[in-house]
Amino acid sequence: MNNIFVMPLLKREIKSNYKVFLIIAAVASMYISVMVSMFEPDLGKMLAEFEKAMPGLMSAAGMTNPGTTLQSFLKTYLYGFFMFVLPMIYELFTANKLVAGYVDRGSMASILSAPHSRRKVVRTQGFFLTASVCLMILYITVLGIVCSEMMFPGDLGIAEFLSLNAGLLCLHICISGFFFFMSCICNDTRRSTGIGVGVFLVFYLVQMLSNMGDKLENLKYATIFTLFDGDALLRGESRAIVMSGILLMIGILFFELGKYRFQKRDLPL
Amino acid sequence: MNTIEMKHLTKDYGNQRGIFDVTFSVKKGEVMGFLGPNGAGKTTTIRHLLGFSTPNHGTCTINGMDCFHKAKDIHRSLGYLPGEIAFMDDMTGKQFLKFAADLKGMKNKGRMQELMDMFSLDPGGRIKKMSKGMKQKIGIVCAFMDSPDLYILDEPTSGLDPLMQNQFVELILEEKKRGATVLMSSHMFEEVERTCDRTAIIREGRLVAVEDMGTLGKSKQKVFMVTLGSKAEAEAFSREMNGVRQTGENRVTVGVRGELSEFIRCLGKYRVLNLAEQKQTLEDLFLHFYGGDSHE
Repeated sequence: MNNIFVMPLLKREIKSNYKVFLIIAAVASMYISVMVSMFEPDLGKMLAEFEKAMPGLMSAAGMTNPGTTLQSFLKTYLYGFFMFVLPMIYELFTANKLVAGYVDRGSMASILSAPHSRRKVVRTQGFFLTASVCLMILYITVLGIVCSEMMFPGDLGIAEFLSLNAGLLCLHICISGFFFFMSCICNDTRRSTGIGVGVFLVFYLVQMLSNMGDKLENLKYATIFTLFDGDALLRGESRAIVMSGILLMIGILFFELGKYRFQKRDLPL
Repeated sequence: MNTIEMKHLTKDYGNQRGIFDVTFSVKKGEVMGFLGPNGAGKTTTIRHLLGFSTPNHGTCTINGMDCFHKAKDIHRSLGYLPGEIAFMDDMTGKQFLKFAADLKGMKNKGRMQELMDMFSLDPGGRIKKMSKGMKQKIGIVCAFMDSPDLYILDEPTSGLDPLMQNQFVELILEEKKRGATVLMSSHMFEEVERTCDRTAIIREGRLVAVEDMGTLGKSKQKVFMVTLGSKAEAEAFSREMNGVRQTGENRVTVGVRGELSEFIRCLGKYRVLNLAEQKQTLEDLFLHFYGGDSHE
């Protein structure tokens, strides 16, 4: 391990980031358990009528076709917004701290003046982010299954739910990859955070608009979040696998590009 | 053999900022000063030596290895003290020192404790709350704790009180005896004077000179402000003495080069109320060596 990662740095990152991780995980736990408890097998019909009454509003938030199964209920009410935004907050905060934060404050000098290559340092940071995002999604998945089994034993289609979360993981690798890339190329965190949030918001808003249907539907080609299609993932369609694969590839590409740029660029230390 | 070798090192940040065609070298076992006023390009040069930056033109090597591409190998035996100390704010001094030691892969922490005692450093509190001097001490301990062969120190004594500055000079002399090579930047002549064999002088991004400390000391002008008994005496004194720069009321400012005995003999004839040496700024130094009233 010592040859691949800077172990003291990895240890430090675990120590200094676990609190934010726990806070986000706690908030996610709350939403997941409350949402699961709100499920009622008959609820689907009621909400379908609700949607007829206010078609625009519900679909804007991604809450379309709630269906009747527990997994599609959760997809509608959790995976349209909360599971986008909650891990995103963690990713934004951590990604910016991991590289741009040290460069901005100048403490990157104490890390780089030790006998470790930049490649190894930035690889360590990238690994920490990826691993913690995987852990976050894994936690969300396990918690979803546990809550469902406790409250509605046997109601959750576990295979479908796992497929949905695999897609979610790909989405979040993509988002964190972009944040990490910004963190690697920026000299100050204000800039890297700003651009990160900006791009996320634009894509998310475009997705909301395209969800509203009609002429705006074509806008879905203008946002990367279209590649996360909850319904297709639940149905196990092959296009869902391809789209998740694309998200994953984009994420990995951003991670690698960020690492590469960090190794080559001038640092203001 | 040269440990540090810079050839035509150029980094242009635009607006006349940066460094231009800097060429000098530091021999193995030598203590080299790097003098220049603020903003002259000292830190930019050091940034290249640490491999944080790549030059537009020219090369810089340490032990024959390129500073950017071989940074990792160079840093195996390098003590670096940054000019602007920035550590992990969320750590205590103790935690940070341990972190830095782990990063360097240091096993033996004996020297670290010795250095902490030497600078009477108590690293218990949070770095965020520490004074500039405290942070500087932690930086010094970090740079020196694994007894590397080469030190690159950016304004090492800034923030230290005079007692600690003396302690630092002792430390440098000790390391020099051990055979370490040192490059230290400063904007104060006195600091470099006490420790260095040679000094490079940089101004507005260009290297002005690389001088032997002995020659520099000899040709350096000391400036004294003498307060005499009366205005008449002051006038008489300034007629008699060479190198008078300024006369006002009963005060005379005199620049003396080399030995002081002649100056003192001359002073002895008058009633002297006060005698004070004026600290020379670097600009003064430049003026006297490279233009202006160089030889009275």
